[in-house]
Amino acid sequence: MYRRPTREESTTLRRAFHWWGIFEFLQDKPLSIKDQINDSAKQVYLLTPEVEGISLGRVLAHAGLMIGILKKKFMLSMAGADLVARESKKFPHVVVDDDAEKAILYGKNILGESIVENTEIIVENQHLIILNLHREAIGIGMTKYHGKYLSQRGIATVTTLIDAGIYLRNEQRRRGNL
Amino acid sequence: MKTRTFSTSSESYALSRKYGYDEWIVERFLRYMPEVKNCLEEMEKTPRQYIRANSLKINSGGLKQRLLAKGIELEETSLPEVFEVKKSPFSIGSTLEYLLGYYYIQDLSSCLVVEAMDLCENLTVLDMASSPGGKTSFIAQKMKNTGCIVALEPNSLRLRPLIFNLSRCGIINTCVFRMDGKKSPELNIKFDRVLLDAPCTGEGIIGKDRSRKISHKPEDIEACTILQMELIEAAARVVKPGGLLIYSTCSFAPEENEFVINSLIDKFDIKVEALPFGSEGLTFFAEYNFNNDMKNTRRLYPHLHNTMGFYIAKLRVNS
Repeated sequence: MYRRPTREESTTLRRAFHWWGIFEFLQDKPLSIKDQINDSAKQVYLLTPEVEGISLGRVLAHAGLMIGILKKKFMLSMAGADLVARESKKFPHVVVDDDAEKAILYGKNILGESIVENTEIIVENQHLIILNLHREAIGIGMTKYHGKYLSQRGIATVTTLIDAGIYLRNEQRRRGNL
Repeated sequence: MKTRTFSTSSESYALSRKYGYDEWIVERFLRYMPEVKNCLEEMEKTPRQYIRANSLKINSGGLKQRLLAKGIELEETSLPEVFEVKKSPFSIGSTLEYLLGYYYIQDLSSCLVVEAMDLCENLTVLDMASSPGGKTSFIAQKMKNTGCIVALEPNSLRLRPLIFNLSRCGIINTCVFRMDGKKSPELNIKFDRVLLDAPCTGEGIIGKDRSRKISHKPEDIEACTILQMELIEAAARVVKPGGLLIYSTCSFAPEENEFVINSLIDKFDIKVEALPFGSEGLTFFAEYNFNNDMKNTRRLYPHLHNTMGFYIAKLRVNS
């Protein structure tokens, strides 16, 4: 069942949207929450007012675009990362080269030498968006080091948490092709 | 109604032997299809591949440039968003641009179905059999991600690819119900547009799935026709007065196409509107005569229109 966010959830989401630079873009748009059975994680959906009107209180399989997961904190989904890359002017990210782009789409972590640019202030264990040279979101990662050390050669300095290729890889696994 | 079969002929015998079809199918084709041999010949070839640019994420020109840089050559079609893939060094479904939702691999015929819906922003639309989401996402694109699309899919296994494709394409204006289209009146919603891309025997996609040359029987057409009649009647009940109902199948069989529409317009106040592509629908088949308006429905043939075999009817529901 889809529902509107509670006041507490809205506060957490607003804070996260500020962090990712999409607060203004999202402030007048409806969001829905889908609670997960046997899981504390809740899915956060962006939808149109008309979809919100139809979906609230009904049992349905899906409504709108799942932009992230809300536990104690909000975590972006790939669709959410895409939204940030398109709409936000300032957000934590690294830009990687073409070889790394291919590797990331197979779920590989990022080697320091493949990072061609990163945002100024990045701390250890920070979530960020992985961009390719076209500045498109291809994954979401977590730093293993402070920003100053992200370009160390021969070391995976960013762990890839989600990437744009994950669904197709899972489908291939399901069919036994991988 | 019982599927019409005919005594076979030397021509149907020769063609069915040459192309590996059950003879009853070819004999039926000979009764209504223009240039049957050319059609069978065309369906032996590797089907043409089309992609549709997702303008919610990239414009057609930008996509064309990106893919050309990867050695993928595209050719324009009658629709500005749709390109035929003329050459690709690798599978067209394995590019980053595909994963990012910049395009959808979809036959031109499917895109023409959506084109027939006269879509604009802020409509309320029902897609009665939506997985894997090609037409649904094109509808969303035509509506510029506004308004609401209610997408139905009864099969839980088919929900995963549908939701993936909607997400990949950045669709926010769609909600998906796990529901049989026959139950759509239970939603208590009236729609500006309803798309029924009906389950069918798939005679039109033999080029993609050769097993269909021999895998279906006349009884399968009957079973599909019954289901299609039930679905289209449910569809007609949920269209707002003045709204549009688009019916399509990927079958050539008149029982799944003109018969269904003819029977619907006998029961409802519906006008069949003309479409600017394809060949005219049939006004007769064997001893059966259809309403003359069936001419306004459209048939797409692989050998004439460079698409999969398709049937499309555009119906204005008056009340």
